[in-house]
Parts: sequence; C-alpha cells; structure tokens
Amino acid sequence: MNVLVCFKVVPDLDQLSGSDWVVDGCSRVETRFIKKMINPYDESALELALKLANPAKVSGITTNLSALTIADSGANLTLKNLRALGYQQAVRIESDAELDFAPQEIAILIAAYIRNANDFDLIIIGQQSGVGDNAKTPLLTAELMQWPCITQVTAIENDPAGNVKVTSLADEGTVTRVIKPPCVLAVGNAPFSTLRVPTLKAIKEQAAVPIKTIRSTEIRKAAPNLPDSPDAELLKLEVVHRKRKSMIINGANAPEKAKILYHSYLKGWLADL
Amino acid sequence: MSLTREQIISALIKIVGTDQVVTEEEVLKESSVDRFRRFEELHGVYTQPLPAAVVYVRNTKDVSALLKLANEQGINIVPRTGHTATEGGLETVVKNSVVLDGSAMDKIIKIDPYNMQATCQCGTPLQALEDRLREIGYTTGHSPQSKPLAQLGGLVATRSIGQFSTLYGGIEDMVVGLEAVFPNGEITRIKNVPRRAAGPDIRHVIIGSEGALCYITEVTVKIFKYLPENNILLGYTLEKMKTGFEILREVMAEGYKPSVARLYDPEDGAYHFSHFADNKCVLIFMAEGPKGIADATAQAIEVIVAKHPECVKVDTRYIKSWFDHLNWDATDVAKERAEIVETKNIGNTTEISANWDKINQIYETCIERIRNEIPDMTLVGGHSSHSYINGTNLYFVHYYNVVDCKPEEEISKYHWPLKKIIVEETIKAGGSMCHHHGVGKHRTPWIKDEYGSSYYILETLKKAFDPEGIMNQGTIYPRR
Repeated sequence: MNVLVCFKVVPDLDQLSGSDWVVDGCSRVETRFIKKMINPYDESALELALKLANPAKVSGITTNLSALTIADSGANLTLKNLRALGYQQAVRIESDAELDFAPQEIAILIAAYIRNANDFDLIIIGQQSGVGDNAKTPLLTAELMQWPCITQVTAIENDPAGNVKVTSLADEGTVTRVIKPPCVLAVGNAPFSTLRVPTLKAIKEQAAVPIKTIRSTEIRKAAPNLPDSPDAELLKLEVVHRKRKSMIINGANAPEKAKILYHSYLKGWLADL
Repeated sequence: MSLTREQIISALIKIVGTDQVVTEEEVLKESSVDRFRRFEELHGVYTQPLPAAVVYVRNTKDVSALLKLANEQGINIVPRTGHTATEGGLETVVKNSVVLDGSAMDKIIKIDPYNMQATCQCGTPLQALEDRLREIGYTTGHSPQSKPLAQLGGLVATRSIGQFSTLYGGIEDMVVGLEAVFPNGEITRIKNVPRRAAGPDIRHVIIGSEGALCYITEVTVKIFKYLPENNILLGYTLEKMKTGFEILREVMAEGYKPSVARLYDPEDGAYHFSHFADNKCVLIFMAEGPKGIADATAQAIEVIVAKHPECVKVDTRYIKSWFDHLNWDATDVAKERAEIVETKNIGNTTEISANWDKINQIYETCIERIRNEIPDMTLVGGHSSHSYINGTNLYFVHYYNVVDCKPEEEISKYHWPLKKIIVEETIKAGGSMCHHHGVGKHRTPWIKDEYGSSYYILETLKKAFDPEGIMNQGTIYPRR
C-alpha cells in the first residue's frame, strides 16, 4: 500500500504573547520570530502512518510512506527527520503564493501531486491547522480526487484483505469502518500519536539524501484538469478580543473562601439551573 | 534495634499530629523518587524502598523535634521542598525513610527594601517571592528554569543558579543569612550582614548541603532594583563553539557583566532556534541594570563580537521570543511526561564547569564519546549558560529512545553510562562534575575524585554534623 501524508510546519502560536496578536496590513499576524513546529494534527497523521507501516512489515504487507509539504526550505529539517523515521519519500512543493488562507489552492497542489504520481492508495492529512484554521484541505482534496473522505480519524490499521480499518470520532462515540482504498483520511484528536524521534544514526544515514523539491507551477502543469484559481480570497483579518472576568476571593483560609464562593456565587447560579 | 514502619509513623504523629503525616501509598511512591527516575515512575515502576511517611512540617520547632527523633532512632531523613531535583537527591534509598516536606512553610517573612534583602521560609516558591518583589520594583535576580516550581529551601540546598547569574551570581552569592536545623535538633541562625571576617564563612556548610547535613528552614537573600526597561538583548549565529567560548571569555576577562551570556551548539539550539539558525551555534547576551551600565555593557559586547567575522547578528525579536518561554512550569512538565510515555524518548541534562583552557576540549570529547558509545541517541548537544572570570559551565543535553529494555533498566542502559562519560572526562580535565544541579545520589560515586585531597574537609563535616548518618543517605556522601 502506498500512503501519502501531507503536513505543514507552522509557527507555534503558544509562543505568541497577547501583545503579539497584531494584524499586520490586515492579512497576517507576524510569526516570523517564533519557533516552528509540525502542525499537531499533521504530526498525528505522520505518526499514525508510521504505526500503520510498522506492523505491516511484520505481517508481510509492504506499506510505502511518502511525506509531502508545501513550504520553503525551512521544512527540509522536518523532511529529513521523516526520512530517518522510515518515510521512503520526502517531497517539498515550493510555491511563491501566500497559502495560509488558501485551502483550495493547497488542495489543488496536493491533488496535482497525487495525480501525477498516480500510485497512492491512502492520503492522510491533519484535519486542520492553527494557522488558517479552515479545516477544509482534506475535504477539498478528496473532492478534487473524487475519493471518499473520513474525518475525525483517530486510528488506522491494515486489514488482511488489503483494506484499511479506520476508527473515527462520531457524535456519540467512535465508529470503526473497513474501507477499500483509495480514500482520504482527515486525522483529528488521535490519542497516543506524538511523533516518534529519529536516532542520530538514522539521521546521519539520511543526511546525504537530497530532499525532492518541485515548483508549484510544474506540478500544476502536470495535472491540467484541476481548477485554475482559488474559490475564495482573504480580504481582511481582525483580532477578536475575548476577555474573562475574574475576581479574587479574600478569606482567612481555604474553607472560608470556599464558603464565600458557594454562598455568594455558586448557590444562586445552581438554583437557576 | 530499629523501629518498625508503624512505630515510626506513630512517633511522627506524636510530634506533629495526624494531619501532617501522610502515608498513602501513591504519595509514598511519588516521594521515593525525583526527576532522575521519571522514566520508571511514568511506567508505574518504583524500584526504591518506599518511605514510611511524608511529613509536612509547619515550623522550625517541628523540624527540630523530628530530626531529634530520627537521630535517636536511626531514621533516614530526606529533606524536600519543591520536589524539582534532577540528580536523585530525593530518592529514598533506605527503607522506612521519612521525607520531611517543607512546602507548607511558605511565608515571605520580611521584604526589607532599605537593606535590600528579603527573608522567607524554606517552602516559599521562588516565583511567589519574585512576583511580590516585582510589584514593588525589585527582583531576586535568581531565575532558574525551575522558577515556577522550585522553593527557596531546595534552591539553597542544591547551590542553584539562575539564567541571570553572570550579573547576579549563583544562590551562594545571594544568600546573606539562614536558619537551619541539625540532626541533633539544634536550631542555628546565621545573621544577615553584608560581610564578615570572623572565621570561615559557615553559610557554605549549609548552602549546597543537599539535605545531607541539616534542614534549611529560613533563607534571607539579597534583592536588586528591577529595571527591565533598560534590558538589551543581543543574539548572533556563528559556526564554531570554540569561537563562542573565546567571545564569552573576552567579555568576562574585560570585566563586563551581562546578566545573560549563553552559547548553544547547533544540536542543542535546534529545538529553540532552527527557524533562524539552522545548523549554527547561537550566542546570546542580555545587558541589564541602570541604563548607563546596560548601554555600555551592550556596546562593549558588540565591539568584542565584531572582532569575529563568523558572527552574524540576528533580529532581537527572535531572541526575545525564546527568552519569554525559557522557564518550565507545571504544564510543561505534564506535557513532557505524556510525550515520554508515548514516544519512549527521554531527555536529561548533565552540567559541569571548567576553566577556559579546558572547556572546549571537554565539550568536544564528551560529545564525540556519547555519539559513538551510547546507543539509540536522538540528540546530544550542549550550551554554556553561566560564565565567570576564569571559566564557564557546560550544560550537556542528551536525549535517547529507550529500546529493548524494561523501564527499570533505562538508567543502567543509557542515563548512567552517559553521565559517567561526562563526569569522568570533566574530572580528568580538571573541571567540576557538578555545576548547579548538585551531586544527588548519582554522582556520589565520583565524589572523592571530584574533591581529591580536600575530601577530608567534606568528610569531616559529615562526621561532625551528622555522626549518626541519618541525613539523606547516599546524597553527596557514599552510603554507609
């Protein structure tokens, strides 16, 4: 089975302080100066694919893993680490376009890459990212490929018949489906999916292997039947200020403070419920 | 004949009452280890003998009575406050030890801006003291990475150091006076004066004693004017650690005192700086204090760095972002624990110091040996974060995947051999095997090599102050 995992490296927004949330020229928040990380949902997707591949090797089913990102050369370190973890292919698409809020453009590039390669059975993508936060990319990719898409995926296993067993969150619990590829899986809050860490030895072995880089224009040329332009344009960003009201309860000790909390606040609210 | 666990608990309750004595198994398990054994702990494996109880002391008299009991009955005492130790100093290696937890003694007794000092009980969180001081325009000048969690007693007991040490010094430069209780119950106070020449400086019997000689109950530290508006951050990328050490040396030798002077190698720096310094070393300074001094310090550093063409200045906003997220709070610790369980990847640190002429050699030898000799390494690197006129420290950072071994074998397979390389290479080169985490229990095997002929002095302190050997057995001093 050939699996493609799409990921992106994003700024770690937890590193931004309140005063850093300034919309610059109405189209972006300055994040150049904060450290980067793999988008957490994509990190889960990358790890779920490794979990899928490793037992498959044991059972004799070969699973080939490819990782794809649309980014500048800053993502090369992550791509090299993924190779060291067992991804056979690590590919970077370079684009000059501003893609933070362009899910359709991203989906078009992913779909173009898939069509061009023409041998992927399974596409795994994090369901959303903190930057842009549109949660559309996996769905749009599936639509462009005319493949089914399962969202909120939390686990993926091989099925002996060559199918894939996919567990996903539903309104009232989890659903497990056995599906026949090809399909797109959008990974949600998957437990135990922190990406493993490559050893120095494995990194060294992969150090000389160049990262495959493709220009976005080339990849689009190779798949001419996809839409030419995005369906939406970002016009403006606004900072939404959310404030919480708080107060300090003064009392001699914890029991006294608890009493004040109950009688002055909670009792009335509870009565209204 | 030694007391049974039940007899010990009963004797403890008689002194402090039931509320202060905790005997729940989960608490005892957590209290049998510190961060050194967190891989075992995270997998629910506890290899150390469980303590008989954890006692939350409320005042100095409690401590005195409890130590007296322990001294008479031969009960091993493990003093503790913030529980952030990293070198096994809080491990209960003796069956039916008693952990004396001072975290309930958390009062800030007095802030004295006129005499520029503050007095606190041992369980005062450093963050609480720092927050109170900053409200009125002062600072302790002490900022270890554990600041959100660590408490004054433990910080003094381990000779802690903070990120601004190059200006303010380590905790030993900040402590002006102390109250401590010795195993026979003797309560001693060292008064708070600017200096003294009345014999040896006995503060240093207590500072760094790691609970192996006495129990620290109260601490008075210096305070400083807090002038963050004058802070100037400087950051550079460079190719070689050797160049970085040379620059640090020149800054110190020329007499400048930046509060922060740090040099990261590319491996250690990758986690923080790869978005602007891929595969490069990073050199960071912060000048602070009165405006004239901060400006002059920053200017002088820029002149010194400019002599080294391989240094490229980076936008200060990169450094500020890193600096604002340097400390570890409870959330970071919880996140780290979850990641260790999921990935079986664990990181630790080993900190040493040496003179300028030896530091680069120690750095290169240790990194090379660890890469070649320790299996499953995922990161080995280091940084210098505390510099002095005659040398600097090195903070080795080492991560590995725990592969094909039980949780209880992680230390013997990876952590201990790794530490052995760093400690032995450092001592061989004439450096010190501990810069600021203390000896704990896992560097005790090399304590005689560390001290050489001066071990006589260290050994005599133990004989004099803890003749029954009831204080934190195995810490600093080999177990009897």
